[in-house]
Amino acid sequence: MQGEPGHGQGSRRLDPASQNILRDRTQRAHFLRAARLARPCEPAALMLPAQLIVALVAGLGIVALLVYGAGILSGHTVGRVVLLIGLVALPLLLTAGNISYGVHESSSTRFCLSCHEMQRHGESLFADNRQALAAVHYQNRLVDRDSVCYSCHKDYAMFGDVKAKLNGLRHVWAHYVAGVPQKIELYQPYPNSNCLHCHDDARRFVEGPAHSPILAALYAGTTSCLSCHRIAHDMAKVDADQLWQAGPR
Amino acid sequence: MTRKIRRAAVVAGLGLVVQIVAALHWTPATFIVSAVVGVPLVLGGGALFLAAVWKNMRDKGAV
Repeated sequence: MQGEPGHGQGSRRLDPASQNILRDRTQRAHFLRAARLARPCEPAALMLPAQLIVALVAGLGIVALLVYGAGILSGHTVGRVVLLIGLVALPLLLTAGNISYGVHESSSTRFCLSCHEMQRHGESLFADNRQALAAVHYQNRLVDRDSVCYSCHKDYAMFGDVKAKLNGLRHVWAHYVAGVPQKIELYQPYPNSNCLHCHDDARRFVEGPAHSPILAALYAGTTSCLSCHRIAHDMAKVDADQLWQAGPR
Repeated sequence: MTRKIRRAAVVAGLGLVVQIVAALHWTPATFIVSAVVGVPLVLGGGALFLAAVWKNMRDKGAV
């Protein structure tokens, strides 16, 4: 297993993704307290890259110039082509880039954890428990840390991305309008196919003594992976603040 | 026609303003506002411009 970290109280290097998620233990404790008190607060605001913002501002400047120059430009053919590019093509191009980047960024871990109700789930990535699925996958880098939530919680079928984004809209609706439920649960039972997307023919999985007798049932989905791997997010460890000591070297 | 083109430019510009504000303060809500308000404004601005040009061409008998 590549880059497997140690365990316990030793010092560890904090990678940039971890820094983005939870900057230090003091902050994590603050998030925990905030979550326990269930105080409503706005999601932590992020900012898209400066290049994208500069491009949008430049596009807005060009559109503003064309507002003043419309009288002159609309009088001849070349001017109309300039208007067509400046008022239609350029804004559409910028919008496509902005939305495309936004959709991509909405799959990031920091985006998911920007809502305070998900902070404890973010904490559970650091839970000091080698059996908890989220912690094992995050701490051992079994999934990309920048998109750890998305990697496990999106379906990998043809419309998996679309379904995940629609579920994201439901999350936003719950956050702002309907209210966050007391217990955060999945909309449907966790499908084995999401696990098998990566573990499918992995040798350790196929030849595992616990797996081999029930492989057919696991592939068919009649036996859930979670029937044995019961702990997805170890909230007990989070509440006890028993977290993996990832800190700057 | 100039007035209509200016109106189209203002609408498209408003769409870009919405997207800029959302990009500066990026949360799940502002992302949705950017997609639901900003994008239609930009599309609307483009449509208004094309409609103005089309009407102008039709009035001149070019189409």
